[in-house]
Parts: sequence; C-alpha cells; structure tokens
Amino acid sequence: MLFRTAGQFKTSYLKDQTLFPVRQDAILLGIILAFAWVIFPLTASEFTFQTLLIPVLVYSLAALGLNILTGYAGQLSLGTGAFMGVGAYACYKMITIFPEMNLLVAVLVSGLFSAFIGVLFGLPSLRIKGFYLAIATLAAQFFLVWLFEKWAWLYNYNASGAIQVPHVEMLGTPVAGPQAASMTQYYFVLVVVTLMTILAINLTRGTQGRIWKATRDMDIAAELIGINLLKSKLTAFAVSSYIVGVSGALFVFLWRGAAEPNLFDIPISFRILFIAIIGGLGSIMGNYMGAILIVALPVVLKTLPETFGIPISSATVEHLNVMVVGALIVFFLIIEPHGLARLWTLIREKFIIWPFPH
Amino acid sequence: MKKLTNLAVASAIAVVTAGAAMAEGLNVPNLTYRTGPFAATGIPLMNGQRDYMAMLNARDGGIGGVPVEFNECETGYSTEKGVECYEATKGEAIVTQPWSTGITLQVLPKTNVDQIPILAPGYGFSPMADGRVFQWAFNMPSSYWDGASMILNELGGGDLSSLSGKKIALLHLDHPYGKEPIPFFEAMAEANGFEFLPIPVGLKEMQNQSAQWLQIRRERPDYVIMWGWGAMNAGAISEAVKTRYPMDQFIGVWWSGHDADLATVGESGTGYRSISWSAPQPDAPVMADIRKLVFDAGDSLAAEDELNSVFYQRGLVISMILAEGIKTAQDNFDAAEIDASQLRWGLENINLTDERLAELGMTGMVPPFATSCANHTGHSGGWMLQWDGAQFVPASGHLMPDSETIASLEGPAAAEYAEANAPWPVNEDCEG
Repeated sequence: MLFRTAGQFKTSYLKDQTLFPVRQDAILLGIILAFAWVIFPLTASEFTFQTLLIPVLVYSLAALGLNILTGYAGQLSLGTGAFMGVGAYACYKMITIFPEMNLLVAVLVSGLFSAFIGVLFGLPSLRIKGFYLAIATLAAQFFLVWLFEKWAWLYNYNASGAIQVPHVEMLGTPVAGPQAASMTQYYFVLVVVTLMTILAINLTRGTQGRIWKATRDMDIAAELIGINLLKSKLTAFAVSSYIVGVSGALFVFLWRGAAEPNLFDIPISFRILFIAIIGGLGSIMGNYMGAILIVALPVVLKTLPETFGIPISSATVEHLNVMVVGALIVFFLIIEPHGLARLWTLIREKFIIWPFPH
Repeated sequence: MKKLTNLAVASAIAVVTAGAAMAEGLNVPNLTYRTGPFAATGIPLMNGQRDYMAMLNARDGGIGGVPVEFNECETGYSTEKGVECYEATKGEAIVTQPWSTGITLQVLPKTNVDQIPILAPGYGFSPMADGRVFQWAFNMPSSYWDGASMILNELGGGDLSSLSGKKIALLHLDHPYGKEPIPFFEAMAEANGFEFLPIPVGLKEMQNQSAQWLQIRRERPDYVIMWGWGAMNAGAISEAVKTRYPMDQFIGVWWSGHDADLATVGESGTGYRSISWSAPQPDAPVMADIRKLVFDAGDSLAAEDELNSVFYQRGLVISMILAEGIKTAQDNFDAAEIDASQLRWGLENINLTDERLAELGMTGMVPPFATSCANHTGHSGGWMLQWDGAQFVPASGHLMPDSETIASLEGPAAAEYAEANAPWPVNEDCEG
C-alpha cells in the first residue's frame, strides 16, 4: 500500500537510472532531509546538538569513509582513528599558521593530508590481504598516535600536549571555538556531511564503485577482466582516508573543541568499525543507522531513568546502558548479519508486496 | 493492564515531583567515574564528596537552610561522556566538577560563554590560579606546580641549592595530566643545577612498566617523583618493590597516594611518600557526624574500611570547599538560593581560617587558605604522607610551595593560553 510501485513507469533510460526509481523512496528521503535541515535545528536544545545531532553526523561521516575502504573495496582497516587524527592535526596546524584561512577550505584540505598518509599505509595492501592487512593498518594506528604525542610541533609546543581549537569566524559569525553557537556548528557539519555523502553515492554507483566492488569480490577475477588492482586499492585508500580525515577535522573543530593524542587511539577505530559493520558494510545509508545505534542510543538511554523519575544511581545507569546496547548489537546482528541497512531493505521489500505476499 | 496503568500513573507523578524538586535547592552536579579503568581511585573520592553533602542535608538541612541537590553524572573518565554530562547538567547547575584533566581542558573554554564556575580542587591546569585570566576556574587549595614545589622543598630540606648535582626522575603518565608539572621542574632544574629526567609511561604501558624501571635502574636517579593515576600507581609501586628501589627516595603527587595501591605491597612499600594537601583525621568531629547521620543511617555507598582512607577524606574536603564557597556567597548576597555567578564570587572570597576549620570539625584535614579574585588556588601548602606498612601517616610539618617562583611561571602561561584562545575575556576589575 504505502510502497506500491504499480503505475510508476519508466519511459526513458535516464529515468530508469535515477537515484530513486521508486517515488516513495524519494519522498522518504525528502522527509528525513527536512528533519535534518529544518525541524531538528529549530527544535533542538544545546544538549541535543552537542550530544546527539553533531556527533551522529561526525561519526557517520567517519564510518562512511571506512565503509568505502572496507565495505566497497574489501580492504579491512583498523587505522581509522589515526587517519581522523591526521585530518584533525592538519586542520589545527593550518588554522594556527594561517588564521585568516576559511575553515571550510581548511577542513576540506585537511582531508588531503589524511588521504596522502592513507595511501602510504595502503601500499602493503597490494601484497597482503584480510587480517594481515588489518595488522598493517594497526601499525599506522600505533605509529601515528605515537607521532601525535612526540612531535611537539604538531600541537604548537603546548605544555599539556593537547590541541585547543582557536576562535574561528566565517562571514562574521564564530564557527569554531567556545563562542560558536551549536546551531552554526551543526549546519557547518551538515553541509560537509551532505557534500561528502553525495560524493560517496555517486562514486560508488559509478565506474569507480564497480571497480572497487570487483576488487572486493574476487581480486584475481577483477585483474583478469582488466582492472588495475594497484589503482583500485590505492584509490579506495585515498578516498576513504580523505573522508575520514575530513571527519576528524570536524570531530575536533566543530564538536570537541580540544583533543589529546590518545583520543585517536584504537577505541575510536573500533567504534567506527562497529558503526560500519552494524550499519551494514557496502551501504551508504547503513552508516547513519549504525551511528544512531552506537552513538545516539546510549545518550538517549542514559536520560530515560531520570525522565521517568526512576531513582537509580548514575553509575548503575551506565552499567545498564552498556548491557542494553551490547544486547541490542547482538540482537540486530543475529536477525540480520548484514547490518541495519540490509534489514531496512528487507522491510522495504515486504512493504512493496504488502498486503499480498506471494 | 491495570498494573501497567498504575505504573504509568506512578511514573507520571514521579516526573512531576522530580521536576518540582529540581526547582528548589542548590543544584550541584558531580561528573563521577565509578565505572571504567579509573574507578578504583574514583569511588572513594566520589563517596567522600557525596557523603559530606548528605551529612549537611541531614544535619543542617543543607547550606543556609537550602537543601543541596547533589547529582552524579557518570563519565567513566571518558572525555566524550564528560562533555555529555557537562551539557546535560549545566542548565540548572551552579557549578561543574569535571574530575579529569581531559574534561577540564574541553570545558574550560566554554565556561566563559556559559558563565559557570569549574571547581577542580588539586587538578586541572596549574595556570588556572591566575583568576584574572581564568575567571571561572578554581583549583584550590593547591595546583600541580605547588605540589612539585613542595616535593622539591622537602627533598632539599628547604634549600633548593642543596639539590645541585642530584638527579631527579619524573615518572609520569604520558597524558596532559602527567605533563603538567614538567615546565616547573625544568625551570627549577635550570635554576638550581640538578638534573631533571622525565620518564613517560604511555597509557598502554601503565600496568607493565618494566622498560621505565630498567631505565631508572640504569640511570640511578637520587629521587623518583611520580605523577601517576589509576593503574599506573599500583604498577609503579610494585615495580619499585621488585627492582628494590629505595622507597624513601620515591615520592608521589597527591593522586598517587591511594591506600589500596600501597596495600597490595604492604610492608615492602614502607617509606613511600606522597605529597598531599589533605590529611586523613579519623577522630575529627566531622567524621563522627558522618558516621552517625550518613554511614550508620545506611545512606552511604562507602565501605567501613574506606572511611579513614586518604581519598575518602579528601572527597570530604572537596565538598567542604564547595560548601564554603556557597556559604560565602549566601552571606554576601543575602540570598539562600544563589546562582552560578554568585557562587563564583563566593569561591573567589573563601577565607578558611583555623577557627573556621575547627568550627567545621575538620582541623588538620586541610591547611587554612584564602582565595581572591587574582588567586584562585590559595597556595596553602600541604603535608608529606608516608606509608607505614598499613596506612598513610603525616610525615612532615606543614610544607609551603615557593609561591613567587610559581607566580612568575603562572602569569606568562595564563597569558599564553588567553592569547591562543583569543578573544578571551579577562577580569579587568580585579586589582590584587
């Protein structure tokens, strides 16, 4: 009923190749975008911006970057946190060296540094695969975090070894630093995330995406049909690290405001990997769903007892939270091992034939 | 179904009453870490803080007749959750207690905008002492640089030039917290001709410090000073016992003097010292009140053997400092319910004299100190606590930091911070 596709005829090839061949999908996306662009910002409180909206977007973007590498090109990586760090430190150095620099430009350029480092650490992927490659990217993780700690130039010789986001203005409004309003920061993040998502959707739908998928599914077969594996894998590392680097710059500049090196250590890499896996490898939408489950749900769960006036201590809530979220992850992976995105696809298919399943 | 309706009604009532309860009282949140890797050291501190406020509520009906709403928000020492807690609590709170250098660093720049005081007793950023620059941050009664200075004074016997030619190692956590005293030690080493050797311990190596202690064995420093936290303390102390490093040459900062860390080595840890701005006083009158009104009433989360520990009693002192700030503000503004900016004034004008401490029943638990708009730390000094094989006992007279030397470092460091975070509002009205 809701998803009835009958009567939606495609009369040209162009129409058949559109992003949303089913009209209802486009409507649904329209509603979600309306929420993201208009309704949430109008209704959200400071708390919602800082703990739900901005972090979900930033983590989704990081997971999107990882998903291009792991989900589309099949190269397992455990170095996401470190590549985010490269983006963040690059952005910090650029902004402190050239204070007049436009922050949007700085964020987009800082991804390039991360892309370069990503390609460098992606080189071993030509020789090694699977778990072995994961270990090689783990080396990137350890090395880069060590570098963030030891190379004092990176944090401008700050005594505490942490980076502090300076006050940055764009068109007269503060966008980063303590004076920036949460709504400004949200829109800044939203613009960048939207841009990156459009880029990722088009990349993965096009030739490059097909090359990556062929590499992922069977690299020998891909090579036999004329795909240059070196180029395919390295572009995947470059694009992935670029997006991850941009998300790292957003992470520190538009959200956290300060960062110490160990913030970019393994736990964050795993967190992003979990978002990508639970959301669905090889899916763009899954990253957002995964981020909502892993990042936003614990925050919401934590506020529940207080809203309902249940008198349990904050520490107990934290313990319960870990248990509930853990159980949910197991539950979702049991009912659909391919992630939340696949779950949605199945539900959607049911909707299309409902109420007459054959 | 009926049960469900009852539940719904009950919870609806609870929501309404909880909302009403929030409206009155002094909302004082604490960002605790009773979970996570640092929970062992966090729990006694948090219990102390909580019990002191519970005692005030039970004995005096709060502060100035207004009950204290002491809410805990769990962070697990994670910076991300800390900021989440800060955002969740800042709306109604009159103070924020971040409880981790990482969270303090994140929250510090925001306090000027949100206009809420940070209370970070004995931690955070040492230049926070400069109240003209850090209008909203307080780290009384001692900063880390105070601690470093007191340790050096004790080692040099009051004359730092006697340290000339000695070698002093700093075994520190490789983290903003552990790096905090380095600028001070470096300045002192240069001025007094001793050799300073920082030995970092990474967060991943906290429990396995064999490499660091190998270096200590090779370098043979005259003293090892430790800036450790959580699992690092226990790791270092057991390594020191294993390598037979003389315990009387091994000194920790106040966060490295946790009873449980030493209890694991027991007798072999005898002689280990830790500088402290608080001292446990099991017989203090305040302890009798807490035992009677909180502990025996079953309102405490603490265990019996925890009550006399250094960390639990330090928690009491921290809550006492906050309560004094609130009281000072209430007296000055002649209002029982104060807001965040009034509390800021209160924290800036604390005058904790010996008489006042006696009145509070806390003589000897913290040295008397006074704050001002220019001095947010108080610089009151402290004592050396020494492990006697079973517990920490005071092992020195009242030690004072070299306030002049510290002030000469604080000023430029605070100015540098303000410059890096420009535009940073500075308190122009402050004379002192």
